[in-house]
Amino acid sequence: MRRITAVEAASGTVLLALAVAALAPNLIAPGDPLAINPLASFQPPSFAHLLGTDESGRDLLTRIVHGTAPSLLIGVAATVIGIGLGALLGVAGGLGPRWVDSGTTRLVEVLFAFPGLLLALLFIAVAGPGPLTSTVAVGLATAPGYARLIRSQVLSVRRSGYVESAVVLGRGWWRRLTRHIAPNVTSTLFVLVTLGVGQSIVWASSLSYLGLGVSPPAAEWGAMLNSGRTYIGSFWWMTFFPGLAIVLSAASTTLLGRSIQNRVRT
Amino acid sequence: MRTPRLTLALAAVGISALALTGCTTGADTGDAAAPTGNPVPGGTLTYASGDAEPTCLDPHVGGNYPQALVATQYLESLVSLDGTGAPIPWLATSWTEADDSLSWQFTLRDDVVFSDGTPFNAAAVKANIEHVQDPATASSTGYLAVGKVTSVEEISDTVVQLNLSSPDSALLESLTQPWVAIQSPTALARTSDENCESPVGTGPFVVSAWDRQNSITLTRNEHYNSPPADAEGDGPYLDEIVWRFVPDAATRYAALASGEVDIIDNAQPDAIVAAESNDAINELEAPRPGASNRIELNSGKAPFDDERVREAFIRSAGVDDGITSLFFGTAERSYSALSSREATAVSDPDLFTFDPEEANTLLDAAGWTTRDADGYRTKDGERLTLEFPVSTNQSVPAEQSLFEQIQATTKEVGFDVVLEPLDLSSWYTVLGANEYNLVSAPYTKVGPDVLRILYDSAGLVPAPSGYFANHSQVSIPELDELLTRASEITDTAERTQLYADAQKIILDGYYILPLFDQQNHYLYSSEVEGMRAMPTVSTPTFAEAWLDR
Amino acid sequence: MTLVAVQRSPARRGGSAARWLLARLAGLVGVLWAAATVTFIAVRLIPGDPAEAILGGPGSQASDEALAAAREQYGLDQPIVVQYFAQLARYAMLDFGQSYSLKDSVAAVIGEQLGGTLLLAVLSLALAGLLALGVAVFSTRSGRVAAAVGSGLEVVAVALPHFWLATSLVLLFSTTLGWFPPISTRGPEGLVLPVLTLAIPLAGFLGQVMRESLLDALSSPFVLSARLRGETASGVIWRHALRHAALPAIGLSGWAFGTLVSGAVVVETVFARPGLGRTLLSAVQLRDVPLVTGIVLVVALAYSVLTTATDVFDRIADPRLRQAAIA
Repeated sequence: MRRITAVEAASGTVLLALAVAALAPNLIAPGDPLAINPLASFQPPSFAHLLGTDESGRDLLTRIVHGTAPSLLIGVAATVIGIGLGALLGVAGGLGPRWVDSGTTRLVEVLFAFPGLLLALLFIAVAGPGPLTSTVAVGLATAPGYARLIRSQVLSVRRSGYVESAVVLGRGWWRRLTRHIAPNVTSTLFVLVTLGVGQSIVWASSLSYLGLGVSPPAAEWGAMLNSGRTYIGSFWWMTFFPGLAIVLSAASTTLLGRSIQNRVRT
Repeated sequence: MRTPRLTLALAAVGISALALTGCTTGADTGDAAAPTGNPVPGGTLTYASGDAEPTCLDPHVGGNYPQALVATQYLESLVSLDGTGAPIPWLATSWTEADDSLSWQFTLRDDVVFSDGTPFNAAAVKANIEHVQDPATASSTGYLAVGKVTSVEEISDTVVQLNLSSPDSALLESLTQPWVAIQSPTALARTSDENCESPVGTGPFVVSAWDRQNSITLTRNEHYNSPPADAEGDGPYLDEIVWRFVPDAATRYAALASGEVDIIDNAQPDAIVAAESNDAINELEAPRPGASNRIELNSGKAPFDDERVREAFIRSAGVDDGITSLFFGTAERSYSALSSREATAVSDPDLFTFDPEEANTLLDAAGWTTRDADGYRTKDGERLTLEFPVSTNQSVPAEQSLFEQIQATTKEVGFDVVLEPLDLSSWYTVLGANEYNLVSAPYTKVGPDVLRILYDSAGLVPAPSGYFANHSQVSIPELDELLTRASEITDTAERTQLYADAQKIILDGYYILPLFDQQNHYLYSSEVEGMRAMPTVSTPTFAEAWLDR
Repeated sequence: MTLVAVQRSPARRGGSAARWLLARLAGLVGVLWAAATVTFIAVRLIPGDPAEAILGGPGSQASDEALAAAREQYGLDQPIVVQYFAQLARYAMLDFGQSYSLKDSVAAVIGEQLGGTLLLAVLSLALAGLLALGVAVFSTRSGRVAAAVGSGLEVVAVALPHFWLATSLVLLFSTTLGWFPPISTRGPEGLVLPVLTLAIPLAGFLGQVMRESLLDALSSPFVLSARLRGETASGVIWRHALRHAALPAIGLSGWAFGTLVSGAVVVETVFARPGLGRTLLSAVQLRDVPLVTGIVLVVALAYSVLTTATDVFDRIADPRLRQAAIA
């Protein structure tokens, strides 16, 4: 096993901090993320409020820490939905008989032809806005991309040398699936999940911008980014810190995914 | 060019809403900084609006504020208002109310011509009112404004008579609005789609092009000769106005600050504050007439069908600190159902003092004595939940934050306010289906007759689309009677008293939580001179505007 | 059986380019049909009365007669199946109907707005490609620190939401520096900030893809043999590795176009640029069925054309693909 690199250590630490923030926010930031204090609004970072306060005087640090769970949840859930759907379509296409492959490819192509945001908009228009529909909408919007990637991965594994030799050796399709195809596809999936979480959080925040996200006063990073954006010229900390949280989460999951990929390869 | 007609006979009986008890509190009536130097003709003014682009430039169709904003430049009305809210001549020079109050006669100017050459006369007025009342036009605001007009008669070329189904003390006020402005009958005879593209009027500018989703271009009307009686100057001076739509507030202000545009509307509080320290940018504050910006409590269903619960909510809603901090002092707290522009507005701050103790007592008395694990009050297993759909198109971010603060302060006494940000269509759907307990719905109308639209029980009858205006679902026979009588009696003192009594009933019943005036702030480059807000619906007019550059 | 199975990996039957193209065109029509159908179903599922949408939305207070007249005029009182086939028939004859909210023919509206969005998309795609290429090459050539920096930049770029990036760029380049205008103007300077906003996150993604494949290509046998033959490191990159590194990124351009259209919705709103993105957003919000469907079809068409074009390019560029069957 290789030594842990500095990058891996850094992203691991960040992820650990995020996990603690998500599961036990009060350990890092005791206090009520919803407690308003209008007369202390728009305060810059200071000793009293390390990251400043927002437009209703709520402490930004507390809100960001307590917002880890809902923000990551949306990111992870949307990614799981997207990858789940994508895997279903991709594996069916890659492994099944030609007609299944053609059918799913066509379906994926059609879904692909819809810009992701449009799929999300249509879904939300049908199902009504809210965090659950936003999550499903983002999942739907990203599913076609995953389906394509997974399908080509399945296909390339299927045609790879050792699968073909397994075929020649007469191993059954279940064996091929579990012994050869699944492990390779799973590692790809895992990497995709880590890449996708960051993307989903960004997506969800764009939906908040369009007025279609979570309900107030939820401390969700995307929503905080959106409401702080109005004041970006005068009170920079209201967007900088939630934005930083999003970037750090996305970056650390991506880097983690990459290092896993590298380790699996070697 | 044009001959100013300043003094004209105003029949005493024809004047309504004239409480000469003085002006408004706070903001002035909307005059821009006094112009310096002499007007220079020429130039192009760029206006960037934060509102949605209208789907039709003819304000007879539908009838919303974005349409009023742009139509102010090319359409005019029979009557205007002066700074005190008194009717003054515009396209009509004088008017008389019949003795039985069932008809009005208007004497019209005889020297006005529409920009397509059609003469302005009684036939034109008749054609316009019929256009507004025609179901095919699909007018909502204008339709309500001339709701009592049964027929229009041409007495002569310059005298037109409006016959009413019952006396209408609000008629003159209604006629000042852009939604019943006068268009060329030749133009009206075209198809609706054609007229939506380029309505034809008598105004200082003419619609010359509409590049949808991009901009509207207005060019100077060289033959303009019909300003309202309170206008000063020899305009129009501008060659052209380019009307753009920039929905993003931050970009809109950046465009003004960088000189890309000359004037913006829907200025946000932090932009107003930033502009204060910027010599190159001035502010025009012009609160809209009609209702104040208020939260309606749905008394038509539980839990707000109980007056004690309504009062408890109002007493526990912390509003003042929020208004001060979120609006940076640009909005003043209102304790009235009406805009501070309305001289008949009645204010009662004592009803709205912040008193959580009293709120708790009231809720206990109303039976909401138990609390659940999250701290919200319950009764018979039901949580004290209030649904509050918020229209992201109509409520600016500062307002939405204010609603969040109300959510937090009322939670202290046990209310569970659920905020639901929605786009406009979904918002209307939710309201039409009666799935709300709280709502903030603006309504702009000239004059206190807006109270009848909002609080008369007739306002509960939904249009086929499900829309109804009486969101607090007030149905009190005594109130209906007051409002009906007030709409028929033109004597100023009596009318004022009737409306005062009506407002007392509304405020005492805790049906609404007034917040502030409908905010209407314009920021404009200091190079723009001679601009003012119309005293009618507070839209800016560029008839006398010129560019100092 | 196994031999048959192996040979089932089809080389394109007959190998004729024309036949392949024809098959792709047929597929394109199929995608358009499917897109129209999915949209038809989706918008029918949206709550609300379409007749109201025609008359200006649920707040329009339209009368019963007006609603009935609108229903009749637009054929909304017919059974759903009849409406569906009538719609398909109209599309087959290239009649895309009237927009409910804009009172203009859908074709006219799209015609006016398409140019703006296409311009944005093409410029952003090009800029993203160049940026990604630049960072990928630079970070592969210049050592570990540069590689780390390049990697870091890419990861951050991908995590930037469009609406936030747009406003930040305006704050920096417009308000503070005054270099570019914050809203669209007639000239090219109005394009700079919107294109940057769209290009940066995409460049981050493409850069990651390109660097991966560049690294892969650099360690492949033919590159090694080129080095052995005496080619310099740069020569190797420019002449051999890049082609193969760029392929996956080019293959992604169809997908990239889709994300650019999504991003255009936000960018056009923030920068007040006319375009399909903004039009689409308001069409969905106003329940303007014909306009939504029209835009969906146009985007689907553009996407399919782009994918076909990149597939053609792939085949020309990489001989290995002519026999392979990876779609």
